[in-house]
Amino acid sequence: MTFGTTVPHPGQPLTQPGGAGDGLPRLLPARGAVPVDLRTHLGRLGQPPYAGQAGRLIPVLQAAGLTGRGGAAFPVHRKLAAVAKARTQPVVIGNGAESEPASEKDKSLLWISPHLVLDGLQLAAEAVGSDAAGLYLHRHPRLLENLHAAIAERAAAGMDRAGVEIFEAPHRFLAGEESALASRVNGGPAMPRFKPPMVFERGVAGRPTLVHNVETLAHLALIARFGPDWFRAAGTDAEPGSMLCTLHQADGRRDVVETELGTPLRSLLTLDGHTQAVLSGGYHGAWLPAADAARMTLSNADLRPAGAFVGAGVLAALPADRCGIAEAARVARYLALESAGQCGPCFNGLPRMAAAMAEIASPRPDPRAVTDMIRWAGLVQGRGACHHPDGAVRFIRSALHVFRDEITRHGQGRCVDPARRPFLPLPDSTALSAADWS
Amino acid sequence: MSGITQSTALWYASRATGVVSLLLLTGVTLLGVLVNRQGRLPGLPRFVVTGLHRNLSLLAVAFVAIHVLTAVLDPYVTIGLVAIVIPFASPYKPLWLGLGAISLDLVLALILTSLARARLNRRFWRGLHWFAYLAWGSATAHSLTSSTDMHSGVLLYLVIACIAAVAGAVIWRITQAGREVPREERAAATLDMMSPRSVRAPARRGPRENIH
Repeated sequence: MTFGTTVPHPGQPLTQPGGAGDGLPRLLPARGAVPVDLRTHLGRLGQPPYAGQAGRLIPVLQAAGLTGRGGAAFPVHRKLAAVAKARTQPVVIGNGAESEPASEKDKSLLWISPHLVLDGLQLAAEAVGSDAAGLYLHRHPRLLENLHAAIAERAAAGMDRAGVEIFEAPHRFLAGEESALASRVNGGPAMPRFKPPMVFERGVAGRPTLVHNVETLAHLALIARFGPDWFRAAGTDAEPGSMLCTLHQADGRRDVVETELGTPLRSLLTLDGHTQAVLSGGYHGAWLPAADAARMTLSNADLRPAGAFVGAGVLAALPADRCGIAEAARVARYLALESAGQCGPCFNGLPRMAAAMAEIASPRPDPRAVTDMIRWAGLVQGRGACHHPDGAVRFIRSALHVFRDEITRHGQGRCVDPARRPFLPLPDSTALSAADWS
Repeated sequence: MSGITQSTALWYASRATGVVSLLLLTGVTLLGVLVNRQGRLPGLPRFVVTGLHRNLSLLAVAFVAIHVLTAVLDPYVTIGLVAIVIPFASPYKPLWLGLGAISLDLVLALILTSLARARLNRRFWRGLHWFAYLAWGSATAHSLTSSTDMHSGVLLYLVIACIAAVAGAVIWRITQAGREVPREERAAATLDMMSPRSVRAPARRGPRENIH
């Protein structure tokens, strides 16, 4: 998985989903050179509209109904209000460390529209009365270089009120978790810690810390300019606005697109007979049978009752000729090895579940593996400092359910894809030592 | 010695529950060390150690409560309600009963903070849990000093056994701490142990490469 080939860059057209109206795309420009440089950005959108006073933006965001785009969909105004209330001066960090191997949207956004994210960072800092801001992202030399240049250019133009520092995240699945971020920015390993205290109470340098996904900040920068009604022109009443999605088509194509919430999944993914199942929400998400997914829209209202969720917008269509159990076993193994090794249920439970999953993926598996798995799933759920065990359990349980016919086939010594060709993207290395966590 | 009369019943109850409390607190302390080192009991699933540690501590509180109440209600000696929680406030054996009061206060603090653990700062909870050793120590000292039974015979051997067990556990804990698998390697180590047929964790000392 390399940066240059998977992220749209000069010369590669941006894909637009079908049926998108109302001035989409908002975050990723439909035409023109990318990355969008400062002059083009200012020409299109003008200076960031500072409110002149802390707190003013918060009711606007509440009216817009913006929720976090990092996966949790938490109302943005509530996080801002909690941090703004604090007596100590807060810190604001834009989180671009999307650790999900199947997600490319934050990298794409930071690459294509860096100034929109940096505007959002400034406006969020102003809203909570902070003058210390940061950007946290994985080590991609080209992207880091570009962002350092963008920050320097803005400083020279006198646009920014809060100083912006860049922090580098290790390539760990959990590195983007809020408390892992705070630990890393404080100079420690990027490992989650137990809450409370919540990061918004006590995070970077012991100060209240507002952490928002970079896409959330980009939406915030646009809402500050165009208002809540403009934002709500896209999406549904309950889940307004647009979002970036990383689409993995059954034919192997990968795209980052911006789409409205409430868009039918079948207009994002090709859900014909060549697709057997859809993974929604990434590797902490859930599988859905393709026929069910074809009746749903991109919304938590549709996906939650089916055990899945929108998350950070990862949608993958698994081709009919691939083994879903083998895929799930690969991902389960990856998730187990990405445990921070801090909580017993996680570092003991996930490797056992991964081993059982590999057993189920093999020809004529031990029939006890499935019952073991279900028992372990109950034992690890809700027992970690972070949601890693819960997310892994959700992923594995949904795979056992959706690919149950494949499990039966394996019991008979058959498999839909005896060659076990890998489909979902996974990094080829995991953490081996403490150095890999910082 | 005459039989159990109404007045001696409380005295016997207090002595008996005191002995049981000491045994339970010793068991809770030993299990606590085992929980801390993520050890397990032979033949039992891993979560049983934690469950047993928690449940035995609640049971110990029940026995300590009976022990304390019967001692206070017993008309033979005057202890006073205040002396239950305030150390050295008892007219009868102030110093030796004071050790018991210290232990009771600490045990209550440990139980209450553990029940509210999900709402507390983890570091604060852990820091406070170090006082478990002091709670057990003062309870043991209280047993040896204020009890007239424990100076000889079977009960003396019982106290010595308790002290030896906790001392052994502390030494084990200290030696174990040096042989810990680094947390970064724990998941891979567990995966290594599992099902060699189909899963293998990466070579742990292989060349490190970064993705992307």
